[in-house]
Amino acid sequence: MIAIIENHGQYTHRIWRTLREIGVKAEIIENTTPVSEIKNRKPAGIIFSGGPSLERAGNCWEILERYGEFGVPLLGICLGHQLIAKFFGGEVGRGKRAEYSLIEVEILEEDDIFRGLPGILRVWASHMDEVKKMPRDFELLARSEFCEIEAIRHRELPIYGVQFHPEVAHTEKGKEIYRNFVYLCKI
Amino acid sequence: MNSLIEEKVREIREIVGDGKAIIALSGGVDSSTAAMLAYKAIGERLYAVFVNTGLLRKGEPEFVIKTFRDFGLNLVAVNAEERFFRALKGVIDPEEKRKVIGKVFVEIFEEEAKKIGADFLIQGTIAPDWIESRGGIKSHHNVGGLPERLKLRIIEPLRDLYKDEVRQLARELGIPKEIYERMPFPGPGLAARIIGEVTPERVRIVREANAIVEEEIERAKLRPWQAFAVLLGLKTVGVQGDIRAYKETIAVRIVESTDGMTANAMNVPFEVLQRIAFRIVSEIPEVCRVLYDVTNKPPATIEFE
Repeated sequence: MIAIIENHGQYTHRIWRTLREIGVKAEIIENTTPVSEIKNRKPAGIIFSGGPSLERAGNCWEILERYGEFGVPLLGICLGHQLIAKFFGGEVGRGKRAEYSLIEVEILEEDDIFRGLPGILRVWASHMDEVKKMPRDFELLARSEFCEIEAIRHRELPIYGVQFHPEVAHTEKGKEIYRNFVYLCKI
Repeated sequence: MNSLIEEKVREIREIVGDGKAIIALSGGVDSSTAAMLAYKAIGERLYAVFVNTGLLRKGEPEFVIKTFRDFGLNLVAVNAEERFFRALKGVIDPEEKRKVIGKVFVEIFEEEAKKIGADFLIQGTIAPDWIESRGGIKSHHNVGGLPERLKLRIIEPLRDLYKDEVRQLARELGIPKEIYERMPFPGPGLAARIIGEVTPERVRIVREANAIVEEEIERAKLRPWQAFAVLLGLKTVGVQGDIRAYKETIAVRIVESTDGMTANAMNVPFEVLQRIAFRIVSEIPEVCRVLYDVTNKPPATIEFE
């Protein structure tokens, strides 16, 4: 089972649908759910959904603090990506320009979540805040014309962040990104 | 998908037991599919309530009533045009509008349910309806308009599905193509396509413009997700037959989408857009200018309100 932590995003249910289409069991879990309870459900992977504000990210921070107890791949989408960056010492703030709908993302590093995808990806985004400074021990995986930090990966742990939305129907090869993540979860 | 039909039918049958239920039928894909599932589940104990809000598209009430009578459904058609217009008088704020419409809908459903002796209200709510309502983006009439203490128990068999999945289900249920291929139409109807106050006169203008957009899209054999007209409530200057005009502006919105959650403005051939503009201005004397909306969703929503 993959746990989708609900941060009040518009596309949380789309993540669930995408995983269902891939054929993987997923559960949408409110971000106010106690971390121990999430642990008891034994997720094989965790996804932080997008959402309107870091203040409403509930127990996501605590999940990161207790990440060692889970030890499973973790993927942050949009706000989830910013949350991960912030937790590991990066900076998050209002971007110079917002990104809505179609953007072109340049993939700098194919492994692991962009495996097998083209070097330029046409994806959909919806955000005004962004990661402004890379967190420690992270590697940059992708960037765009409007936003320098579109995707990141921890150097040692299977923790990933993506600023755009691979789960929406308009994102090219979006399902492949989830398929790559599911592969990492060894389900 | 067949197993999904069985699962939903069983679910409805279990909840309703030997009681009666009404379904809020608009004639769109979602409520029609929910109606057929419910009909399969409880047959004659289902009553479809169709409300003519006065905010529907050209020819729509006649089309819906005829189609579903032919199906053999118990159909109750309620004419509530005046009631909706009365409730909407002076209402300008888009959220307020949606809530007023939702409230009148619920009142009508409660009245009809009482007459029939039904305890359940089946609705064709789909995932984007509650996602957008809960996220505070917009209150969908079937979610945001509901009072806290509703006398009816609600059943929403399509809650976890998106429109593309509902269409597939509709096909498998044997619902005719004219219904499952219909473009989505908002619950608040043409009220969501009128900026500012909703009056019978302004509905008439946007209804005519909307019909022209739909006809021309059909004629050009385009297959967008949605194509419609919006009355912007904004007057601009024109020159018509050497005479100054100062009249209404219509926006045309044509988008492509899979599920309504994200959408792109369609790259419609310019000749088609020009023909739409020509017809709107020549057939609707209150209008002198037509604009085409090129914004995607996000950042804009598909409907204007």
